[in-house]
Amino acid sequence: MQTVKQTSPYVRKAISTKRMMTDVLIALIPVVGFSIYRFGWDAVVRIVVSLVVMIGLEAIMFGMMQKPKKHDKYWVRLKSRYETYTINHVVVPAISAIIFALIVPSQIPVYAVVVGAAFGIVVGKMIFGGTGSNVFNPAAVGRIFIGLALANMFAGAYPDVDLIAGGTALASARGALGFPNTLFSYSLRDLFFGNIPGSMGEVNALAIIIAGAYLLIRRSADYRVIASALLTFVILMAVAGLSMYPGHALEFVLFHLFSGGLMFGVVYMITDPVTSPITRPGRWIYGMLFAALTVLIRLFGAYPEGVAFAILFANMFVPLIDFPKWSTNKIKPTFVAGYAVMIILLGLIVYFGTGGIA
Amino acid sequence: MIAKTRQIPDGKKELKNLSILHYVNADYVYYPVTSARCPEGETCVIGGQFVKVGEVIGTRKASFFEQPIHATVSGEVLGYEKHVDQSGSLVDCLIVRNDKKYELHESIVERNDVDIEKLNKEDMIQIIKDAGLVGLGGSAFPTYIKLATKDPIDVVLANGVECEPYLISDYGLMIDHPEEVIEGLIFAMKTVHAKRGVIAIKKKYKEIEERLTFALKAYSQYDIKVVKVGNHYPSGWEIETIRNALGITIPQGELLSKYGVLNFNVSTLQSIYSAIKLGLPVLERLITLSGNGVKNKTFRARIGTMLTELVELAGGYVDLEKPKVMILGGPMMGVNVTRDDIVITHTTTSLIVLNEETAIEEPCVRCASCVYSCPVNIKPVQIMNAYKIRNKDAIQTLEVNLCIECGLCSFVCPSKIHLTEYMRKAKTLVK
Repeated sequence: MQTVKQTSPYVRKAISTKRMMTDVLIALIPVVGFSIYRFGWDAVVRIVVSLVVMIGLEAIMFGMMQKPKKHDKYWVRLKSRYETYTINHVVVPAISAIIFALIVPSQIPVYAVVVGAAFGIVVGKMIFGGTGSNVFNPAAVGRIFIGLALANMFAGAYPDVDLIAGGTALASARGALGFPNTLFSYSLRDLFFGNIPGSMGEVNALAIIIAGAYLLIRRSADYRVIASALLTFVILMAVAGLSMYPGHALEFVLFHLFSGGLMFGVVYMITDPVTSPITRPGRWIYGMLFAALTVLIRLFGAYPEGVAFAILFANMFVPLIDFPKWSTNKIKPTFVAGYAVMIILLGLIVYFGTGGIA
Repeated sequence: MIAKTRQIPDGKKELKNLSILHYVNADYVYYPVTSARCPEGETCVIGGQFVKVGEVIGTRKASFFEQPIHATVSGEVLGYEKHVDQSGSLVDCLIVRNDKKYELHESIVERNDVDIEKLNKEDMIQIIKDAGLVGLGGSAFPTYIKLATKDPIDVVLANGVECEPYLISDYGLMIDHPEEVIEGLIFAMKTVHAKRGVIAIKKKYKEIEERLTFALKAYSQYDIKVVKVGNHYPSGWEIETIRNALGITIPQGELLSKYGVLNFNVSTLQSIYSAIKLGLPVLERLITLSGNGVKNKTFRARIGTMLTELVELAGGYVDLEKPKVMILGGPMMGVNVTRDDIVITHTTTSLIVLNEETAIEEPCVRCASCVYSCPVNIKPVQIMNAYKIRNKDAIQTLEVNLCIECGLCSFVCPSKIHLTEYMRKAKTLVK
């Protein structure tokens, strides 16, 4: 009988990274299904293109990063680069690819999808060392890149725009039409069921809520980030609503909750563990940071929508939140107090910023 | 799975139903001259000498205490051989041929209740010292040093939690001899003048609770309670047990006695009982063979018996073509051995044989399961990253020395990263 040397512990839990990642893929099904139902081949083409680009580039760059065996034959050398290539190197970029495809409009040129996907996976992820090492969410990096570099390709990329509103829900709420009137063009019901113009995956709040519930039940996403982000977002938007449109505060909050990429970002993007902090308080802070930035960009920024930017900014703060000197996994009273004080401060900023009292 | 994990599939249900085989017929028994705690030792017998049960045949020596070695069978001393002991290392062992008559040594005298009443603290401690009692939960720390504390002790805790999976010997002891555990606890309480005694067991073991409460009826003059603690791992870690059973939070690294608490494993208490009442050192103990690589069986065997004999008696290994991992102790914190000529010592609770499963390590995805699950609230993933770049300052800031090496971080990691091993390496780096 052969015995093997190991060190304790000798038993491992029956879970794997693969399972966690596959869960996210499964959770994407309702949203992908709805976007194909709603946008047809436009959606299929963009999702497939994004998948091919991201998985392909990840595979190529993965091979470039490995040290090959010394051998005369090229094929043997090439094969030796891919000895540690596993299913995770397909599933993880596939998630990024689908998420990326779902946060662009359905009629954006395929060229822009290719550029964004390539930039997201190469600069956003593989340059940092691949899965687990990336600082920024690859999909958000790709989306912001094409949003800035190929801005004119977004003109007219959203189908079914209401003629009176003249743009997507968030754009028209900030535009000439103004907030309460936007609801005549895009009712809350349409916002919830996805009958509005917008990026492919973001429009249907219902599908996203179902997926979020699945992720939480399977414990493949941390509820703390989601809870913290929604809590902060609702409180700050309620403050803004009460200060700007006292008669329509509830509609204002729901309108902002279900329009744009907020729900999508909360369920699929900030729950990405790789770009989140690793402690309980850290994840609460991270969620609050994301939501606060989104609110501030939406209310005071130059863009109508700020989810992708907010994600990248929040990602940037993760190493700071996780810094060993002060990060701790215990939820201390000082943290709870600090969290409450921050919400109150942000609420005051939003209140005065939106013209309260004055 | 991003969540705090504390439940480990423990496989105890099947083990509970195994009958206990009392095995005393080993032809040869072996006594390690040294142990992990006592790096030096000597014997005081010569080859060919006849020894009796309970006779002192040598002494193990450590820096601040000495420990007698007792013969557990009667027979002839043959010589020395090298075998594996509980710590997994090769040690010199004295061999005694068992004549199977089990003649008791003259020094072994039973004490009746009147004699015991007369014993004062010093006498009790001397008896326990002479019996060579050590912490049988695995620490092998000499019991008399714990009892000789000068701090006032308020409560003595009997730890019967046994939270490691696949272990069943404390459970078996409490089912079979609850009264011996209770009397041992009473002796310990008398020694340190403690008023209260608490027996901590797992919540799910209703049958033990019934046995103990029933047995306690005979000792109603003492304030002894059975307290149920959580089923999770590591609820048997003394600080966790004390917090859950007594509500006293003791910072790591502090002496328990400063807080008026003494904590003993239930088998240690049973050995205190037999030392004081029967005058016997530890002669036998319960040993479980478990895991999917061997026929499972529970034995009561003499100290010094070779584990190979027990494995043969149980029916041998299964799936011989598969490589095996052999573990002494529990599968979370136990010691890995590569040979099976293991001598049963006081602290040998089990031999677990698992068919090898190789875990393929994936990159960390920062899911933080290890951080959430850590019972001492340190951040294993950051310690690993700091260790990889040999950053001593960061490792110290992250308080790696608090780590109790419970193994939960490696257990929960979805990427199958061996974090516990990194913790050990980081500890040696900053030492």
